[in-house]
Amino acid sequence: MWGQLRTLIKLELCNIFGLNVFRFSKDKKAKSKSVMLLAVCICLLIMMVFYVGSLAAGLILLGAGEVVPSYLLMISSLLIFIFGMFKAGSVIFRKGGYDILCALPVSSTAVVAGRLVRMYVENLLIVLAVLLPGTAVYVWSLRPGPSFFLTLILGVWFVPLIPMAGAILIGALITGISSRMRHKSLAAAGLSILAMIGILYGSMRISAVGDISLEMLKELTSFITELLGKVYPPAVWLGWAAVQGNLLQGLLFAGASLGMFGAVSAGTAFFFHQICRSLFGSSARHDYRMGRLKEDSLLVSLCRREFQRYFSSSVYVTNTIMGPIMGCVLAGALLVVGPDALTTPLPVPININGLIPFAFAGIFCMMTTTATSVSMEGKNWWIAKSLPLSAKNILDAKILMNLLLFLPFYFLSEIFLILALRPGAEELLWLLLIPAVFLLFSCVYGITVNLHFPVLNWENEVSVVKQSASCVLGGMGGFLLAIPCAAGAAAAPEEYVWLIKGGICLALLLTTGFLYRKNNRFDLCGKV
Amino acid sequence: MLRIEHLTKHYKGSSKGVTDLSLHIAPGDIYAFIGHNGAGKTTTLKCVAGIQDFDAGTIQICGLDIQKSPMECKRQIAYIPDNPDLYEYLTGIQYLNFVADVFRIGPGEREERIREYGDRFEITASLGDLISTYSHGMKQKLALLSALVHQPKLWILDEPFVGLDPKAAVILKEIMGSVCAGGGAIFFSTHVLDVAEKLCNRVAIIKDGVLAASGSMEELVRQGQSLESIFMEVVDHVGTAQDAD
Repeated sequence: MWGQLRTLIKLELCNIFGLNVFRFSKDKKAKSKSVMLLAVCICLLIMMVFYVGSLAAGLILLGAGEVVPSYLLMISSLLIFIFGMFKAGSVIFRKGGYDILCALPVSSTAVVAGRLVRMYVENLLIVLAVLLPGTAVYVWSLRPGPSFFLTLILGVWFVPLIPMAGAILIGALITGISSRMRHKSLAAAGLSILAMIGILYGSMRISAVGDISLEMLKELTSFITELLGKVYPPAVWLGWAAVQGNLLQGLLFAGASLGMFGAVSAGTAFFFHQICRSLFGSSARHDYRMGRLKEDSLLVSLCRREFQRYFSSSVYVTNTIMGPIMGCVLAGALLVVGPDALTTPLPVPININGLIPFAFAGIFCMMTTTATSVSMEGKNWWIAKSLPLSAKNILDAKILMNLLLFLPFYFLSEIFLILALRPGAEELLWLLLIPAVFLLFSCVYGITVNLHFPVLNWENEVSVVKQSASCVLGGMGGFLLAIPCAAGAAAAPEEYVWLIKGGICLALLLTTGFLYRKNNRFDLCGKV
Repeated sequence: MLRIEHLTKHYKGSSKGVTDLSLHIAPGDIYAFIGHNGAGKTTTLKCVAGIQDFDAGTIQICGLDIQKSPMECKRQIAYIPDNPDLYEYLTGIQYLNFVADVFRIGPGEREERIREYGDRFEITASLGDLISTYSHGMKQKLALLSALVHQPKLWILDEPFVGLDPKAAVILKEIMGSVCAGGGAIFFSTHVLDVAEKLCNRVAIIKDGVLAASGSMEELVRQGQSLESIFMEVVDHVGTAQDAD
């Protein structure tokens, strides 16, 4: 058993982050793409260091330094849980190599353990990326004793376990339930989205603190600790164990982590083959009779295929549709609570109505489908390349699919926003125009990035949808752009706001047009 | 029908590829392309199919240059790779309809062709199932059916017999014969030398990316030698191109 486990873990880890391909590939293009991905990861890491460091410094300045370790532990655990929930099912129950492994004399426990170790290593890196910079600020400011370091060094290895257990449990449940349905991917995507909305709603209810009094703010440490304890108690256990040298709480954390992770892992291993058989089993009916066939235009046919591709992957759906759903939910919430709820807590007067179009533009462009649409073709890319299709034919269908997919959400949230904000003529124009222009730009920009950073030789969709350079650079382009644009519009004098907004829209439309023309002339055979 | 002149394609960081390869395929030809693993067969076929660029040389299909007029060239051809990775999220009939839409084949024609060849390959009943449920052989049949839907002039097939059951292999050979009788041409790679010898009127042998021998099958095997023994002789001893013509 241990020999099997060692071999399978080695197999799983040898190509983590594409290291094996980078090591042995002689293709310079592939290597430069790996370097680019590494550069993107380093940029994200720097942003994370800056964010976490500022957060820790802020808490220390407010006199709540003691909660920093607990806070950091909660952030890293939440990141692991949320990212893990969407990918756990497709990582653990992935089809690639399943038949080969089944034919080998290895137990399902060893197979599952190998896959879990890979997830664990990836998640441990998330923990370190969050914990190290924040802890550095804490140590530099508060000079804790040796017991702090000892507890944290011993405890950090257990941090990914509970959020991983939660993510695996939900991921496995979703995969298990959807594997019994005919449209497995669509069911998995629907269940994942429902689970996410449920968790968001639940966490909002749990962390609701009612009216914040001045007395509560004076006791900031206990106030934040109480809040963290409500959302994720284990973070407080280890955090306080480190700060106060409380060995018992540390042991409680380690025991709970091992217990939960062990139980979930054992359950997953037990049901592994059953779920895999349901997922990969043939549901062929062999009862087709030729009927009348319909001819469609090229664009309709290509666009329909894009939709079929999209809805065949639950990871692809959940990763991209959350933005528009969140947009609708937030717009609906604004209609229920009213726009005054946004303006009253602000210490300085800000024209919220002026910023809302940018906020919704950003939410809608959080992750476009186009940014990974070329990569998602994977091993099927030869079909599009060998058929008499121009780059324009292929890329137009991808853009159209993204727009058609997001359009109902756009209209629904616009209706909610108009009813909630009751805007004047000019405000209405920006409310309708800005998100639409950002969406159009994001779709075209996503394609541009994906054409330059395609990943076609993938084993698991997760590596394209969640971990590729194109997904990071292309998917969030519109979202990241919306932030400085909103800041620019907010900072501009009242009489020039329309000019700024108009300028932004015009610049984006011109850039979109330029990128669109450039994409359509892209040499798909030579460069992708 | 197909004119390859001085084709050169090398992969960066790899010694594999094709060097200065020239071949001419006329209407009515069934042209076998044989060579050991990694000799450059698939690279050549991909360049001809317009799915891979190349460093030097020209490829003309029906008088049109694949690099200058890729769309027009691709309308004349069907390419089927050695491992047809088809859209697994589509059903067989959806895939065929998609290909027919791309080639603008009318509903009547596509129905008639799918019905005829679907029945011949005994795949009609499975056309309503997702391609992900298909075996390798069924995917191969579907890929062939997708080519038959638009009836190309030039067929480019990479190991077309791999995975096909014996009956389907016989049907494919019949179809290849009728395509060529109708003025089309077939350029295909194979490791099955017996099939190549019986089926083809022309053959090319490629070794380490260089054309080692080419010409009519009749002339190559006229001295009583089998294609197998000629192939072994060529790959073991010949280093440069020899044309039997």
